[in-house]
Amino acid sequence: MSLLRPDMKMDESFYKVEEIRQLTGNTFSIKLPKARFAFKAGQHISLGIVGGNQSREYSIYSGENDENLEVLVKEVENGYFTPQLRRLKAGRMVEVHGPFGKFGMEPENAKTGKFVFIASGTGIAPFRSIVRTFPDIDYTLIHGVRYSIEAYDSHEYESNRYVVCTSRDNKGTYHGRLTSYLKSCTFAPETQFDLCGNSNMIFEALEILKEKGFDRDQIHCEVYF
Amino acid sequence: MSALQIKAEDLSVVKNNNKTVAFKTLGCRLNQYETDALVTDFSQAGYELVDYNAEPDVVIVNTCTVTNQSDQKSRSVISQTARKAKNAVVVVTGCMANNFKQKLESQENITFVVENNRKSSILTLVDAHFSGEIVHPDQLPQDVFRYQPVRKSLHTRSAVKIQDGCDNYCTFCIIPMVRGRATSRPVAEVLESVRMTVENGFKELVITGVNIGRYEDGTVRFEDLLSMILEVPGDFRVRISSLEPDGFGDEFVKLFAHPKLMPHLHLCLQSGSDKTLLRMRRMYDLTQFRRTIKKFRDVYPEFNFTTDVIVGFPGETDEEFEQTMEAVAEFNFSHVHTFKYSVRKGTRAERLENHVAEKIKVARSLSVRELSVKNQISYFASFIGKTQDVLIEKITNGIANGYGQHYIPIRFKASGAQKNTVHSVKLTEIIGDDEDCYLLGEIIA
Ligand SMILES: Cc1cc2nc3c(=O)[nH]c(=O)nc-3n(C[C@H](O)[C@H](O)[C@H](O)COP(=O)(O)OP(=O)(O)OC[C@H]3O[C@@H](n4cnc5c(N)ncnc54)[C@H](O)[C@@H]3O)c2cc1C
Repeated sequence: MSLLRPDMKMDESFYKVEEIRQLTGNTFSIKLPKARFAFKAGQHISLGIVGGNQSREYSIYSGENDENLEVLVKEVENGYFTPQLRRLKAGRMVEVHGPFGKFGMEPENAKTGKFVFIASGTGIAPFRSIVRTFPDIDYTLIHGVRYSIEAYDSHEYESNRYVVCTSRDNKGTYHGRLTSYLKSCTFAPETQFDLCGNSNMIFEALEILKEKGFDRDQIHCEVYF
Repeated sequence: MSALQIKAEDLSVVKNNNKTVAFKTLGCRLNQYETDALVTDFSQAGYELVDYNAEPDVVIVNTCTVTNQSDQKSRSVISQTARKAKNAVVVVTGCMANNFKQKLESQENITFVVENNRKSSILTLVDAHFSGEIVHPDQLPQDVFRYQPVRKSLHTRSAVKIQDGCDNYCTFCIIPMVRGRATSRPVAEVLESVRMTVENGFKELVITGVNIGRYEDGTVRFEDLLSMILEVPGDFRVRISSLEPDGFGDEFVKLFAHPKLMPHLHLCLQSGSDKTLLRMRRMYDLTQFRRTIKKFRDVYPEFNFTTDVIVGFPGETDEEFEQTMEAVAEFNFSHVHTFKYSVRKGTRAERLENHVAEKIKVARSLSVRELSVKNQISYFASFIGKTQDVLIEKITNGIANGYGQHYIPIRFKASGAQKNTVHSVKLTEIIGDDEDCYLLGEIIA
């Protein structure tokens, strides 16, 4: 038998930015043509700007069957990469590697499972992808932000499934921190939890869920920073 | 891909060229395996393997870049090599070649810089060089699995590579940048490689890759593959190189009842603090890790666990470090490979806040080391009076050296026993500590 494999595939792809969708003063989405890019809802890509020397990971914001490949980006003050992304205009080339990651949803699970999605800030991205891919999924999405304006594309979620916790204004579903809201919740024992966002929020949410008696194996995490 | 790409079919080599070659390897088991496979390539092509002090015609330095210290070591080996082997063709490969390609290419004392995914074709490059052809390393085929089964090795144990790359993107780790994304070697190739390595006379195989627990070829997962490997006929034992503590289930535990599979795992904990683990983007918490250890020790009480720990990760508080110490004590790791966190350019942790002072890292590292030695001594001592089956790796002055099933180093009077044979040895005494610790025994069969 031959041990040679001359057909190694390359995984680099270059895409032209189709549209920048401004969502708040410092948050925007980047829409790329999807072409043949296949991924599973919940996965992320590594994004670079052609001609630049760095890349960052971004969860895919669009659904598996959407026309575009889209990511949601918050410009980080004094950040290195996001200020460059913010200056991107339609027509510029970006470099996409991936998809990567095991965070996400098995199609079989989506049909039968009961889910609570917990996100801080742009951590909502993989959940939008999941909800767009599996429109019949049984979920509740708890989203922690500072201001209600950061409830990105909230009209897309059924209002009884989307809880936005706002810490700095009272225009959300709940005024206060996501973790305070979480403490007040009761969930069915078979609930599966998916958490995405910054590690401090995830750590606190994990502690709360464990205190409520949920097993760590019922909880999946995607840490951004 | 370049139009000048050399096809895999063109990889035949000239025999008996009267040239000498030396290898220098740094870093992990995977690198060691890849060197061993290159040794096989070169010796089959007629190159004589020599020490790198013996003015070889070719020197191959297989580098590592996992920490700042590995970079320093790699750099110093390269300059030593270039100084000693003045007229040699110097080939630098391995992870540092990926991480610092341009810088290394501009160094006059290096002839070729070959990235990991082209490492398996170094013989072609060197042969072409000697026959006057001008081949650039970027023209070599990219294939991380093209290595042939090890025939001639610098060791008695041979690795079998089943996987390369990693998609976990732990925040401290440079490996995804230098080894690429996770890719699994097809089952048939792995099994063929196992058969041939056993035919080549190796009595112990180490299943190797960057993140082998994530092996996936169609529906075949890591434990399925391992079970198939164990069913390959022949007299050999199997070890597993380091493993991430997630992604395997009860079937994996059961496999260790197989007499060919050795009861030792290097299970990477990295930290005993759940908060630190999250900042590292590790996929498990301490409770899950504890559960895994318990599953094994409930069935195999003497099972040996060793681990990697990073101390001084950005933001690691005294309390978080204490949790690591507690975990090391609780899990009774017989060896802890302790890394002081070092910034790797381009990783996410580089941009995390609250980097820890070097002085604190040094002190924490020392504490873990001391605890590790204590664990080691108590674990090794628990084998005194028991018997281990030892594969002899070398015999020096009549004393045989090798490892028992649990990966404990053992020495005994060879009494006519040969290298690369397995013997039952009754353990009598513990000698030394840390890297130099071993058990002394008497051969009984
Ligand atoms: C798997 C994965 C998926 C990700 N998906 C997304 C995503 O969908 N959208 C997104 O905006 N970011 C996402 N991130 C974070 C992203 O990769 C970058 O870290 C972020 O865009 C900042 O880059 P920067 O170069 O501007 O900041 P840097 O100069 O790298 O500074 C990093 C610092 O910025 C802060 N920071 C990082 N990300 C954020 C954020 N999203 N909000 C607020 N502060 C932050 C942290 O304190 C961090 O230490 C993801 C990260 C990972 C690991």
